[in-house]
Amino acid sequence: MNGFLVEHGGMQSSIQDAGRVGVSDIGLTQSGAMDEYAFGYANLLLGNPFNTSVIEVALGGMILRARGNFSIALCGASMPCSLNGESIELWQTYTLKEDDILSFGFATSGNFAYIAVIGGFLTPLAYGSFSTSIKEGLGGVEGRKLLKGDFLACESRVLKNKRKVENPWLPIYAKEVVLRVVLGYQSDFFSKVQHNTFFNTPYMYKGEGDRMGYRLSGEKIVPKATGILSEPICFGAIQIPSHGEPIVLLKERQTIGGYPKIGSVLCVDCFKLAQLRAGGVVKFEVIGLEEAGAKARAFYRFFLSSKLS
Amino acid sequence: MKLEFRIASYNSLIIYFGEKIDPLISKEVQKAYLALKNAHIEGFFEIIPSYASIMISYDILQYDHREACLKAQTIIDNAQEIDKLEQKIVTIPTYYGLEVGFDLEVLAQEKNLSVEEIIALHVSEDYFVYAIGFAPGFAYLGEIHEALATSRLPNPRKAVPKGSVAIADRQSAVYPLLSPAGWKILGCTPTAMFDSTYEGLSLLHVGDMVRFEPISKALFLKLGGAL
Repeated sequence: MNGFLVEHGGMQSSIQDAGRVGVSDIGLTQSGAMDEYAFGYANLLLGNPFNTSVIEVALGGMILRARGNFSIALCGASMPCSLNGESIELWQTYTLKEDDILSFGFATSGNFAYIAVIGGFLTPLAYGSFSTSIKEGLGGVEGRKLLKGDFLACESRVLKNKRKVENPWLPIYAKEVVLRVVLGYQSDFFSKVQHNTFFNTPYMYKGEGDRMGYRLSGEKIVPKATGILSEPICFGAIQIPSHGEPIVLLKERQTIGGYPKIGSVLCVDCFKLAQLRAGGVVKFEVIGLEEAGAKARAFYRFFLSSKLS
Repeated sequence: MKLEFRIASYNSLIIYFGEKIDPLISKEVQKAYLALKNAHIEGFFEIIPSYASIMISYDILQYDHREACLKAQTIIDNAQEIDKLEQKIVTIPTYYGLEVGFDLEVLAQEKNLSVEEIIALHVSEDYFVYAIGFAPGFAYLGEIHEALATSRLPNPRKAVPKGSVAIADRQSAVYPLLSPAGWKILGCTPTAMFDSTYEGLSLLHVGDMVRFEPISKALFLKLGGAL
C-alpha cells in the first residue's frame, strides 16, 4: 500500500478538501480547508485540480511515515518541518520513498499547513466531499482528527521536476490583518456611531476560535435587537451576539443562527484570519459588493485555471 | 407576497418572506425552496431555507448579485403550489430535571413562575417544525407559549449535552449533538435527533408537528439518556 502511516496525529490534523456543497439545507456544515490560499497552492504545485483532498495540519506536532514512493507538496503555516531529521522548507514539493519520516513541529506563525499528494487521499466521500467535519463525525478518517496508526492511502505518483512557490507569492502571516467586509444582513440594526466604532477600532483575536469561527475582542457594538428570527448563515458572516463582540463564522460554521450580522468578511480575508495567531489584531474595512466580487473572482480564476510548468 | 432581497456576502443573497414565525409564511418559504432546489440551477450551490428567509450562495464566476436575484425571483414567481402533505406528529420524551435543565431555575425566577409551571407551559403546546439547520437534525420549533418567551444567553455555553431541549425567543429546539449553545436549556431527551439512517439525517422534517412528553429520570436513563 502506498501512502502515509500516521506516527503522531498532532493537535488536530484532518483530511480536508474545499468543503461540502449543497447539503447545508439539511443542516450539514460546509467544512473544508480553513485557508484556501495555502490549500490551493499545495494542490497547484502538484498539478491537482483545486478541489483535491489534503491533510490539514492545525498548529503542528504531526509525524508521518511514507509507504511507497510518491510526491508531496507542503504549504501554509510556518511549522518547523523535517524530512528524516533534516530541516526542509514549506511551499515546495518533495518526493518521498519508503520509510521516510516527515515531521512537523509547532507553528511559529500561522495556524494551518497543508500536505498534498498527487490525486488526493483515497478516503471515502461523505455527502460529496472528503472534508472531515469533526462535530458531525463525517468525512476523512471516521469523521475524526487523525490519530497514530491511521493509514492514508494515495497513488504512487511522482513529479518529474521539483516545484516551489516563488517569493513574491509567499504569504506573510502578519500579527495584524485587515478584513474587508461586505455590508449586508442586519447592517441597518447598527447605528452610525456603532458602524464608526466597528470600522475604526482594532479588535484582538485572543485565541477564542476554532474551525467554526473566531471570536474577536474589543469595543462592543450593540444592535437595536439582540435576537432575530433564525436565518441562514454564509461563509464569513460577522455575528454580533448580545455580548457585543464580533464572531466571524468560518468553514465549520452552523448553517442557521439567530444573532444579528453586520455583514460578511470577504472570502480571501477569511483565509488570512484563519492563519492569525492568538494575540493578533484585526481591523475591519468596508468593501463594495462589486469590488469584493472582483477580488473573489480573481482568486478563484487563478486557482481554477493555473497550471505550473 | 412581496419579497425583500438583501446582500449576505460577496456570493450570497438572502430573501426575506416576512419577519415573524407564521405557518403561512413558512409555507411560502417551502414552496419557493422546493422550486429553487428542483430547478437545479447551475451555479446556485447552496439554497438554505429557514422560518421566513432563504439564502442562496452562488458561483461568483457565473453570477453577480443582481443577476442571481433576478434568476431567483423568476423561479419563485413561477413556483408550483405544493400538495398538502400528511402531517406527522412526533413525540419526544423529555426529562425535565434540574441536573439536565440548566436554566429551569433561573428562568422560573425571571418569569415569576415555579419550575413545574415552566415545564407545564413547555409541554402544553404542539409545535410546528419550521426549519432544519444550525446542525444536522436541529429542528426549529414554534411557537412556545408567550409566558415562556426568553432571550438567548448573553454568552453562549461552550457545550451542552446531546439531546438538550432548549428555548429562545418564541422558539424551541433539541440540540442533536454535543455543541455550543446560546439557547436556554429546560431538559434532555434520550431520543436521537440526528442519525445517518434517518431520511435527510434528521428525525424531524419541516412541516411535522412535535409534542414533548415529560418522563421520569428512571425512564430517561432506561431509554439511553446520560447524566
